[in-house]
Amino acid sequence: MIHSTLIQALLRQRAASPVRMALLLFMFFAPILITASAPGLGLGPLGNGYGIVIVIAAGMIGQDVSSGVLQLLLARPIRRDTYVLSRWLGAALGGFGLIAVQAGLCTLVLWMRGAPPDTRDLALLLGDNLLLALGLCAVLALCSSLLGGLGDLAILFLATLAAKLMEGASQLAHSPILGRVGTELENVCIPQIHLFEFMSPSGPPWFAIVSYVSTVVLCLALAIVVVNRKELSYAAAG
Amino acid sequence: MPPPDDARGQGTRQTPTVLLALAALLLVARVVVGVMDARHPREKADLVAWQPIAEAGSRAAQTGRPVLYEFSAAWCGPCQAMKREVFADPDAAAEISRSFVPVQVVDRQREDGHNPPDVQELEERYHIDGFPMLVVVAPGIEPQTLNGYPGADETRRWLQGAMMRASVGGARLQPGSPLGGDGANGANAPDTLRRLR
Repeated sequence: MIHSTLIQALLRQRAASPVRMALLLFMFFAPILITASAPGLGLGPLGNGYGIVIVIAAGMIGQDVSSGVLQLLLARPIRRDTYVLSRWLGAALGGFGLIAVQAGLCTLVLWMRGAPPDTRDLALLLGDNLLLALGLCAVLALCSSLLGGLGDLAILFLATLAAKLMEGASQLAHSPILGRVGTELENVCIPQIHLFEFMSPSGPPWFAIVSYVSTVVLCLALAIVVVNRKELSYAAAG
Repeated sequence: MPPPDDARGQGTRQTPTVLLALAALLLVARVVVGVMDARHPREKADLVAWQPIAEAGSRAAQTGRPVLYEFSAAWCGPCQAMKREVFADPDAAAEISRSFVPVQVVDRQREDGHNPPDVQELEERYHIDGFPMLVVVAPGIEPQTLNGYPGADETRRWLQGAMMRASVGGARLQPGSPLGGDGANGANAPDTLRRLR
């Protein structure tokens, strides 16, 4: 179901884009520089790797459709579900890999400055970011299958904005239902689980776990269905 | 050149039946768990990784992080609101646990007639006259206090500001070695160290 060549191709494609690389360099080194200048902040400047994942994953399918790469790719013996799943995993692992290296460098800097971070904090940060990368890339895979180019970013931005507006409006209108809809929409846009919630005395956050897994599986299944329905033949294009 | 898709017919397409069935099942589970959660809401547990009072000083020196004391009492309504809205919020709790050495200091005066010695000593040191009160202690700067509970957003903003101020002071003093730094910047470091201990 997963094709390692497709994963490598995605990462090479990302590395070949100067704009992406410039953004990634900034997002990669800025937190490290902040950590080096203010080690008291610990791993705080790393935050979550949302930006890095977005830059790597944006347009993961849409750009291939727009540029005609997908058409050429599917001339080879590659199934569309394999293509979608490989793009998703490649983007998620690429993003997480970069975040892990960044966290490693920050840890090294903190260690050299005599303030090594807590191992538990580091493990939780990496775990949270891995789940974020897998979740966010699944959502972007679906958005990217719907619109060409970088249209997935527009969908994600508008949906997140709508969720925030609903949450804001729910407070003004004192409408808990509107607030709940906004929260659910936001959870769909950015599926995430905080691992330290598992250590809560009230037990694992079952709703958060089920929401996360269902969002990821649903997005991937729908992305495959959408890509399956794409008519990529030259005849159709003409 | 033949059209790639046509040449392969439906070869490249396969309906993701298993994934779709799983997605449908998980959607049902999501609704069921959501309804159950709404009927029997989880107690909003405090998610901050609070440290024992006795270990605060050593952990702060070891990690270079400022200490965040939260002075509260079981009978204090705003303290419980702060717990529900800030310390039980996953994002805020993660931020606090990663940025500070968080220490909870619970007053027992009303319940037991007296406080444990370490609680009493901290309350006297920071002149606690009401609850809740947050105190951020870091080498190189005066303790920063937030008196009362101004709401979740305001509290988080205050914590972020306190963290930045503490880290600037801490950076001047070389975290991990709180006695470091020059005389001017580190003038009150020994005092802060005594406070931390």
